[in-house]
Amino acid sequence: MVKSRHILHDFDAALDSLRADVLMMASLTDRNLQNAMTSLFDRDPQLCAITISDEQEINSLEKTVDQNGIDLLLRYQPVASDLRQVVSAMKLSSNLERIGDQAVKIARRSRNLSMEPELDEAGALGPMFMEATGLFRDSVRAYADGDVALARSLRVRDSEIDQMNLDIADNLTISMAKQPDRIRDYLNLLFIARHLERVGDHAKNIGEEAVYATAAEDIRHAGSSF
Amino acid sequence: MIETAVQSPNSMSQQVTDQGTHLPTVAPTEVPAFKVQNLSIWYGQKQAINDVTIDIPSKTITAIIGPSGCGKSTFLRCLNRMHELMPHTRVEGKVLFQGEDLYGAGVDPAAVRRRVGMVFQKSNPFPTMSIAENVTVGLKLNGLRKRSLLDERLEKSLRMAALWDEVKDDLKKPGMSLSGGQQQRLCIARAIAVEPEVVLMDEPASALDPIATMKIEELIGVLKSNYTIVIVTHNMQQASRVSDKTAFFYVGKLIEFNDTKTLFSQPKEKKTEDYITGRFG
Repeated sequence: MVKSRHILHDFDAALDSLRADVLMMASLTDRNLQNAMTSLFDRDPQLCAITISDEQEINSLEKTVDQNGIDLLLRYQPVASDLRQVVSAMKLSSNLERIGDQAVKIARRSRNLSMEPELDEAGALGPMFMEATGLFRDSVRAYADGDVALARSLRVRDSEIDQMNLDIADNLTISMAKQPDRIRDYLNLLFIARHLERVGDHAKNIGEEAVYATAAEDIRHAGSSF
Repeated sequence: MIETAVQSPNSMSQQVTDQGTHLPTVAPTEVPAFKVQNLSIWYGQKQAINDVTIDIPSKTITAIIGPSGCGKSTFLRCLNRMHELMPHTRVEGKVLFQGEDLYGAGVDPAAVRRRVGMVFQKSNPFPTMSIAENVTVGLKLNGLRKRSLLDERLEKSLRMAALWDEVKDDLKKPGMSLSGGQQQRLCIARAIAVEPEVVLMDEPASALDPIATMKIEELIGVLKSNYTIVIVTHNMQQASRVSDKTAFFYVGKLIEFNDTKTLFSQPKEKKTEDYITGRFG
């Protein structure tokens, strides 16, 4: 449905502002995720510290989105697509904050790894990182553009990331057996893969919210047909 | 026994005969209370309702929403032929009530209104009557004279209207001595005292404060178990709170009719979406 302007211009402004905050949050989360992975591959402890400290900005925006969302619900009692937009924005901010948490966890483990000799197996995380960040960006694009087809396609890609996580875990387990003195470092890599897998889960959730906001359809837990 | 229209679906053209006891309540049924088919209504040259077809289910609360002048009050009034009180009214189409044509030959409008009661926007207790007289006046007009039965029906109606506890010691006081919210509940008690099958409500809480409004809304929910309720309201939050089904009217046409939850969360029509989200015009 093509949206007309609301009779109350303040409402349109408030809703636009809410969406802008969510998209800003997505942008900061993306940057933090990039920094976290760069800190791993470049073995840069300073970038790890920046990633960890930048999370505050994301957390602060999450609270702003929640407060403004509740304010919008209280003041305007929106219904139909307006209500879905507000609810989705609030749920998106929660997923973005959790992706931000995963970025911080990756940065912390990267910092630990940077203090030890480099492991060749770290390179195996590169393709998984590309997939996870690609999925995340597409989920945000689906939300921003109301692209239901793109949003629906994310679930399959999340399953592919889940499989990558399992494959990496198998390979790292073999490496641990070969170099038991580096178990702690391999565990750090294994957990980074796990954090990226969680990023994929949250991106899939964002895609589901995009479908709900745009098409009023709840596709959560609906099997693989979506 | 009262042989009123309430007892027999075929008795709208019959005369009320005599005094009696309880009138039976209508059992829940899958048959719609009203089956409206291609209804159009004109006031002189002006068409107020345009080819409306809708089934209003029994024992549910149906809300009618729409902007001013969309025909929602006219539609409500045509369900008990109240609109005929306006001059130069013309009706086309059918309104079947429990399968019987409300506009059929020989149907007595007064009998229709006994079965299909109405509560108006502004509370209108009879100014010269006491609280008790306001409630029982319809019963007396229907021929009920026995004191004990009148008292029984008075208490029952006031209890159903959630007013008994507030007025039981003041039944002889004027109806007009009550607060606005109490007066409206008194009017509801008056409407249900004659045990209609349907209660039509035309913005029953629009002139009340929030607390009185909540009491009326609570009461509407309670009445649903015994009555079919059709309510016209400008307050969309009220419609979404109290009703099971909602119909959206625009310039005399029925645009959308659906479960209230669906209509307010996933409306099918753009006009509905624009209206309920405040994007009209």
